[in-house]
Amino acid sequence: MSFRRSPSPLVALGALFATFAAAISAQEIPSYPPPGLDSPPANLPHVRLISLGGTISGTAKERLNVTNYGAPRLDPDDWVAALPELALFADVTTEDLRQPEGESGPAVPHWMKVARRLQELAADESVDGIDVTHGTNVMAEVAYFMHLTVATTKPVVFVGAQRPWTGLSGDGPLNLVNAVRVAASPDAARKGVLQAMNQNVHSARDVTKTSAYRVQTFQSVDLGVLGVADPDVVKFFTEPTRRHTTKSEFNIAALPEPLPAVEALYAYSDAPGYLVDALVEHGVRGIVIDGVGAGSLGSLADAVEAAQKKGVVVVATARTHGGRVQDTPRRHESGVIPGDNLPVEKAKILLQLALTKTTEPDQLRRIFNEY
Amino acid sequence: MSTETRLWHRAPTLLALVFATYALEACAADSPAPELPRVALFTTGGTIQSKGDHRQKLMEYNAGRVTPDELVGDLPELASIANVEVTEIANIGSGGMTTELLLKLAKSVNAALADPKVSGAVVTHGTGTLEETAYFLNLTVRSAKPVVVVGAMRPFTAMSRDGPFNLYNAVRVAAQPDAGGYGVMILLNDTINAARDTTKNNTYRVDTFVARDVGPLGFADSDRIAFYRKPVYRHTSTSEFDVSSLESLPRVDITYGYQEADGSAIDAFVAAGAKGIVLTGGDREAVERGQARGVVFVNSDRKGSGRVMQSERVAERNLVTSDNLPPHKARILLRLALTQTSDPKEIQRMFNEY
Repeated sequence: MSFRRSPSPLVALGALFATFAAAISAQEIPSYPPPGLDSPPANLPHVRLISLGGTISGTAKERLNVTNYGAPRLDPDDWVAALPELALFADVTTEDLRQPEGESGPAVPHWMKVARRLQELAADESVDGIDVTHGTNVMAEVAYFMHLTVATTKPVVFVGAQRPWTGLSGDGPLNLVNAVRVAASPDAARKGVLQAMNQNVHSARDVTKTSAYRVQTFQSVDLGVLGVADPDVVKFFTEPTRRHTTKSEFNIAALPEPLPAVEALYAYSDAPGYLVDALVEHGVRGIVIDGVGAGSLGSLADAVEAAQKKGVVVVATARTHGGRVQDTPRRHESGVIPGDNLPVEKAKILLQLALTKTTEPDQLRRIFNEY
Repeated sequence: MSTETRLWHRAPTLLALVFATYALEACAADSPAPELPRVALFTTGGTIQSKGDHRQKLMEYNAGRVTPDELVGDLPELASIANVEVTEIANIGSGGMTTELLLKLAKSVNAALADPKVSGAVVTHGTGTLEETAYFLNLTVRSAKPVVVVGAMRPFTAMSRDGPFNLYNAVRVAAQPDAGGYGVMILLNDTINAARDTTKNNTYRVDTFVARDVGPLGFADSDRIAFYRKPVYRHTSTSEFDVSSLESLPRVDITYGYQEADGSAIDAFVAAGAKGIVLTGGDREAVERGQARGVVFVNSDRKGSGRVMQSERVAERNLVTSDNLPPHKARILLRLALTQTSDPKEIQRMFNEY
């Protein structure tokens, strides 16, 4: 049986509804007004909603299409129009910082541009909090980059969706409302860059995408959430103790461009050393190896030693996705820097930033201990 | 009995000898620093201080208790990280913990930490109600110094027992000055968890203690003690609860919610003199009967994760909501709250803040 090949009145009605829904981009939201909208509270915090796109801005013609969606992508003002409830929590203004369609260049230079803009908004006294939408695949990396390079005490909250805006039971609308509530919450200040989806609030450092399609995909595997965006309140239980934002020694204003070249490799049984050699020949200044077990280099060890002799800095992370890589006596002697419990893609970002300051092993170890 | 079996029976002794030799060597290698931190160790018993009659005995280990001297004597490695000063509060299973002992423990920890020369405190405890005692201390210890509650899932005599490393790590954390300010911590299985948020999650595994909603604060790894999180709710040095002059606490009981649960349990607890009752669902009329007699009711939940929401409808019924505290921790907070007030609104403030 195929829905597409045997149109029934019901399917036709569904398709009509889906088209309508895509047009108004609010098909999953009941049309009756929530209480309080007729007289929303005054003097609400000003939240700037920045779009970097993502699934949350994606649309499809059919509600059941939650895998092959895309254009036309929503503008940030479409979200605000579809979510009158935002007026209960904040005065939301929008900004579109997506790379122009068809002109998408490399990601990191764009992150740096966004970081500079976030730093400007941090200095803007009229702004109380910031939301940034992003595709979920690399959202955690981008958020961690901002966590390390934007000096602000204001809430900066990354948000996205696992299902497109037009998807049946789409998670985008509630995620977006909750992200605005978090950005508007005074309790969210001074906690570094945050990530809010599925009614949870995570730290940018520790959150990672763990499932390809489920709505609970974002987890802080080692450490858990900082707080929750529950129907009654936004509540925080803990705050991060590692350095970030205003306590970071890295700031977007002082970063060279491009950043030092750092690449990552995955370790596995009999992984050949020529992978490391190739990166060295290519001229990288640092390599992060996602090591086996507790960060062991395994079959890559000899090639790593040769790379270090040529001045390349090597950091070890653990492909276990949980637990710290420790500064064991043997590792210390080898000069390989332990990546703590950062996943490989975040250790790569921290190493790129660290190499703008130092190549000294003790300083690099300090940086991986402190951030 | 075959020779093989007899040898097997002697294995614990042999094993202990081997371990002791290693331990002494490790100790001799690192000669103790002259000015070691002072750590106050309070022992209450539990599996970490229990013996079985053979090393496969992982349950029903009733072959005697481990004295505080035996416990510390078993870990010569402690001598290189801290001067441990031992006080025995009790030597019981955690099911036997009483209000009297809780108050004695809190007062003893407070007295020890008032000494500026003491770096921190460690408490041994059975794991069954460990999290209740830890949360009680989190609310009643008036110090920002590290306090670590520790236990074990396998007895002192067992194969692959977890107690020694747990105790060693607990003393390490308590001896570390920058481990203060996190509130009372629970440390088993290398993992540092916050007393408020942590619950026993499994009947026998060594990774039993889990902070289901929020995760751990950090880890006691071999290279260093790594912290990542700090609680933002009130505890220890910012707590308003003072037990220094208390000899008892108000009676608070818990009723479990289930299909067709009626008001019998609530009525019985009220008749027995309960000043407060924690509910995980309950008969509305029985609650109102109890409230008419001045009993305070707190809505908790039996799921073990997630917050109970506050709402106007619940507040109108003078019910307090427990946030994400499980019933047995909501009971601890309610007992302390009732030493100060019986106003549901004021008690709700406390449940929001602690």
